[in-house]
Amino acid sequence: MEPKFTEMYQKEPAGEMDGACGQVADLLDSMVDGEATAEEQRFFNSHIEECVNCFENHQKQKLLKGLISGHLKRVIVPESLAQTIKAKIQETI
Amino acid sequence: MSEQTGKQLSKEEKDARFEAELLPVLDPLYNFAYRLTLDEDDANDLVQETYLKAYRFFDYFEQGTNAKAWLFRILKNSFINEFRKKSKQPAKVDYSEVEGYYNTEDVEGDNGVATTTDMRTESVQDLIGDEVASALNTLPVDFRTVIILCDLEGFTYEEMAKILDIPIGTVRSRLHRARNSLKEKLEKYARTMGYNS
Repeated sequence: MEPKFTEMYQKEPAGEMDGACGQVADLLDSMVDGEATAEEQRFFNSHIEECVNCFENHQKQKLLKGLISGHLKRVIVPESLAQTIKAKIQETI
Repeated sequence: MSEQTGKQLSKEEKDARFEAELLPVLDPLYNFAYRLTLDEDDANDLVQETYLKAYRFFDYFEQGTNAKAWLFRILKNSFINEFRKKSKQPAKVDYSEVEGYYNTEDVEGDNGVATTTDMRTESVQDLIGDEVASALNTLPVDFRTVIILCDLEGFTYEEMAKILDIPIGTVRSRLHRARNSLKEKLEKYARTMGYNS
């Protein structure tokens, strides 16, 4: 029982990524969100210059973020809401 | 909410500062409330409640600090603590409803592309917006929240950690999982529109 379990546990994940690609994948969010450190950015950018897969993943991640920031419609605030809030505040005092 | 500022404001000063610093956040706050509750009336109630609380605790707000993050935090807590319990409707779209929708809109083979090309740009934009919104709405509220805070409102990870009361590491992992989930839903949609992912 025991050896079997260990064996299973040590199995590589299905989509085997080499070390650098894995690290780049982990940085995708930080990169598109502007949260990566200077060192991380250098590492990331030099890798995607050479790796088509990671380059494409970066493009997709940017696209995804752009879909939310650029296409998600903002709802219009009801005109009366600001007045209602002010009125309620005066009532509660 | 950290320490009290110490000096007591007159009512006039307090009202003036409240209006100048907090009311300009009304638009993003209402949008956030709407994306959490998915209901205009609920969003309205939630925003009112948030501002009433903010007024009550205004002495704890440090002038010049991030008013938007402060209000978002209050709203998020109100949503969790009271609103979710009170609300009869679960703050979630029934998943199966939306799931079925995609499957019925079957595109006939590769010809699906033709239908998109003769549409005017504006309607395509609307269409994309609608699809993004419905995909987003099917996500669990915690996932939806991080995506809204980050991509729509542009909060930093650090600000998000404060708004949500979670460590930055959790912000990162939650955002990562949320985006993967959203990506999956949108790729499914892209395929029905004849795009290859």
